[in-house]
Formats: sequence, structure tokens, C-alpha cells
Amino acid sequence: MHTLHRQHRREILWMVGPAIATLIVFSLYPLIYSIALSTTDSQLARPFREFVAFKNYTDAVRDALFGNSLVLTFVYAFGVTAIEMAIGFGLALLLNRESGPTRFARTLGLLPFITPPVAIAAIWRLIYDPSSGMLNHYLVGAGILEQNVAFLGIPGLAMASVMLVDIWQWTPFVFLLSLAILASLPHEPYEAAAVDGANSWQQFIHITLPLCLPGLLVVAILRLIGAMKVFDLVFMLTFGGPGSSTQVASFYIYKVAFQQFKTGYASALTIIVIIVLSALVTVLTVLYRRVQMRYGP
Amino acid sequence: MTEQVIPSSLHRQPAKPLRPMRTVMHLVRWATVALLLAFTLIPLIFMVTTSLKSPIEIRISGSLFPSEGVFLVNWERAFRNVPLPRYLWNSLIVGLMSTALTLLVAVPASYAIVRFRAGGRWLPSWILGTYVAPPIVISVPIFTLMRTVGLVDQPFGLALLHMVGNLPVATWMLMDFIRSLPVEVEEAAQMDGASYWGVLLRIVVPLILPGLIATAIICLILSWNEFLFALILTYSLRSQTFPIGISEFQGEHGLQFGEISAAALTGIVPVYVLAMFFQRYLIHGLTRGSVK
Repeated sequence: MHTLHRQHRREILWMVGPAIATLIVFSLYPLIYSIALSTTDSQLARPFREFVAFKNYTDAVRDALFGNSLVLTFVYAFGVTAIEMAIGFGLALLLNRESGPTRFARTLGLLPFITPPVAIAAIWRLIYDPSSGMLNHYLVGAGILEQNVAFLGIPGLAMASVMLVDIWQWTPFVFLLSLAILASLPHEPYEAAAVDGANSWQQFIHITLPLCLPGLLVVAILRLIGAMKVFDLVFMLTFGGPGSSTQVASFYIYKVAFQQFKTGYASALTIIVIIVLSALVTVLTVLYRRVQMRYGP
Repeated sequence: MTEQVIPSSLHRQPAKPLRPMRTVMHLVRWATVALLLAFTLIPLIFMVTTSLKSPIEIRISGSLFPSEGVFLVNWERAFRNVPLPRYLWNSLIVGLMSTALTLLVAVPASYAIVRFRAGGRWLPSWILGTYVAPPIVISVPIFTLMRTVGLVDQPFGLALLHMVGNLPVATWMLMDFIRSLPVEVEEAAQMDGASYWGVLLRIVVPLILPGLIATAIICLILSWNEFLFALILTYSLRSQTFPIGISEFQGEHGLQFGEISAAALTGIVPVYVLAMFFQRYLIHGLTRGSVK
């Protein structure tokens, strides 16, 4: 019995071993390396050149571009998540019935988020183009705009334009997941509510919304985390510009590390980003637990 | 209380199935789908039509459909100027390698985590937690590490990193599929003397096959679309993938929109064909994890 037990333990070890090895090499090691590198003045080709203690961190706190990139990342992530959740869940409520339109929409909803983001960015650059873009063509044609606009060339507008591409890419995904959440709701509360004579608005507020809340929160957290990572759209659409108006954190770190080759400084920035994101995820987890306790099954 | 309510609900009964109301709702539903359809498809249609317009028309007009006839010149030029087959081939190789690696690591790990609580709470949290970190935060150490071991500009090196990126997604999905299996079948097999690996390979894997396919397809698509690691770790045709090809092309040749559209479409079509074939698996696999 004892040898059998030991053999089973070895089997289990072999099952999780590769995953643990992967985590050590590609997550623990990079973290330790980054922490070490962040206390040095390093270049991409010459790591660990000189120990500078916390200088990179004090520089980072004073770096207006870095602060700006963090703010932009939060604006982007919370902005697109809110809009995608509102539209995606709204559409799902409207189409929450197994019918021709719903099946059709579900198939369609798969397309944008499996499209390579680089290809998506290429299409939208073309749509936004100031001289021959489709958006200008039709907006000017319809008299909504007086003359062509450089959607990606004006600071505030460029950010909104990049966000619109994210919304195009991810709203269908939120819609698909919302449909699945709605489909998983139990029937009994609605039957009871119908007996009590509740109208559809009351049913929505008192039954549908509370029951959907935990699931919706998971979707929102997934989107928030995904949007915090935005890199390819910015790289392809605006390259951070005009000025630094779309320079989100991922892109700024990329520039510091792989264009200015200041890897020591970039490492300090990544550590700060990790701390900020960990704090955010902790808050979200606590929020999720609260919602789960109050509204969950 | 119920005694008072039942009559009132009976009163309301005849008013419920109003036919015109239902027709209106149906119209609203179709109209919404039509709008959604337009918003989703117009950019994609615009890419197709742009690739078929004459280069002159592209420069002067942003209309959705070509007005001066259909041309294949953009496609010819795209294939002449961009080594598209090479990029697509590299993407395929990296995608297949990384998907195989991901499943090799994630399937046994998910099984051990779900059935034997291997690694307690910290192993699943660690694996899923890696999803939170943006890839850029590990890029500097990873670049240095891969250079040291000679895996920069190698398809295998990129595949390895795509495996790292896909691991949390695959584990999340697979854990859910395994959890939904009745444990009795596995226990019966163990009674008959099967090893854990035997149970996993001969019983669990066949039972979760649809979920496994969904997971594999999603890993393949994620790898195919991945940009940041490919940007950092590849610099020649030996390993550059399709997204890098498109981005370089956009930079080098100015903005030849017709050619870019054609080139981008060659990378989109394989994904759409794949998704079409495995549509059911995909929707099922993607939506179930988040519902619970």
C-alpha cells in the first residue's frame, strides 16, 4: 500500500512538473531578474553595468511620460470595458431567445476577436485615413463633417479612435458570453415573479440583473485585464502618438527597453506596473467575492 | 398572499400574447442584428473591396465598393513585395508547435490540479495569475534568456513563449472540462489497476475531446495572432510570423493600402476557415468557463 502511494505521488509530480518548470523559468525567473536589473543602470547589450539602488524608481516617479502612460492605460481599459459591457450585455438581453437572428448573431460574433489584431489595425488605419479613408468619405459625404479629419492625428481623438477599434474587436465577445450567462439562468424565479404579477422591468431589476451579476463581473474583469495589456493596436495605429497621447504603459515600456535600450529603467517601470496591476486585481477579487456572496448561487 | 395574487394574474392572462407587439419585437431584433452585422462586417468588407480596387481609386476615394471595376493588381504586388507564403508558413509552424506544447503541459497539470488538488491552492492561482501580467513585463529578461540559450529568431523559441502565454487560458478551460466529468468512471478504472496516467490518457482525454479540440483551436488562433513576443524575438524570415510581416510591410513601403489589405486577408482567411469548421466547439469552449 505504501509503495503504491509513493508511485501515485510520483505520477502526480510528473503531471504538474512541466507546468511548474514553465512557471519557474518564464515567470519566477523573469520577476527576480527584473527586480535585480531594476536596481542597476543597464543597457540591452550590457546588463548590470552599474548598481544604482533605487535611482530608477525615483526617476520613474518623476517621469511625467510614465505617469501619463499609466493614466492612459486606465482610461483605455476602463473606457472600453464599460462600453463593451453595456453594448454586449444590452444586445444579449434583446436577442436572448433562441431564434434565427440570435443564431446568426452568435456566428457573426465570433469573427472580430479571432481576427489578427495587426490585420484589424491595418483595416482601421485605412478606415481612419485623413485623405482617402472610408470614415471621412461617408461622414463628409453625409454632411456630418465639413472637411476630412485626421482621426489618428489629433491627441484626444486618436485615443478615442484606438478605443473604437478595441470596441469593434471585443464587443461581440462580450455579447457571446452574455448570451451564455443569460441562457444559464434558472426559470423558477421568473415563474414566481409572473405569478406575483411583476412586469418585465421589475423582473429585469430584481431577477435578471442580480443573477447575472457574478458572471458579468467575470467577463468585465477578463476584459479589463485584456485591455490593460493593449500593445499591438497602439503599435500599428498610432505608434503612441500624436505626441504621447496614445502611449499606454505597455508601449512606453517597449520604447524604453527596445528602442532606447534602457533595460534597467524599463525593469523598474515593469515592477511598478506589476505592483499597480496586483493592487487592481486584489480589489477586483474582493469585489467579486462580495458580489458572489450577495448574489451568487 | 398567493390567494390574492392568483386572480390578478388570471386577469392579465388574455392581455399577454399581443400579436402586433410580438411583431414589433421581432422587427427590433432583426434591426439590431442588421446594425451589429453592419458594424462588424463593414470593416472586413472594406478590406476585401480595397484589395480589389485600382491603386488610383484607393488614393482618391474611400467608398465601400469599387466604382472603376475590379483589379487583382494589389494581390499580385502583395505577393511580389511581401514573402507572404513564408510568413504564413512560419506562423503555422509556430502555432502547431506551441499548441502541442501547451496541451502537453496543460492537460496533465489541469487533471492533477482538479482530481488530486496537486499544488494546493497556489499552483492554479499561479498559473491563472500569469494571465494578469502584460507580456511586456517579462520581455527584457525573456529576451536575454532566449539570446543566451540561442533561441532568438528560432520558430521553436517563439513557440515556447506562446506556450507560456496560452498556458493560463488552456488550463482555465481544461480544468473546467475535467471538473464536469463524473469521477466514478475514473475511480472504477483505478480499481481495475490502471495508473493515473493510464486513466488520464485512456479515459479522461477521450471524454473531454470536444473541449480539448476547442482549447487547441483557441491556442492555435492566439499564437497565430500574437504580436509582441514575435516582434521582440524574431528578426529574419527564418522565424518572422504573419503579424510581423504585415507590420514591417506597413512601415517599409509607405501606405500601399491595396497591398496591405490583400496581405492582411491572406492571414485572416485561414483563421476564419478554421473557425468555421470548428464553430460549435469554439463557442461552446469559450462561453462555458465564464458562466460558472
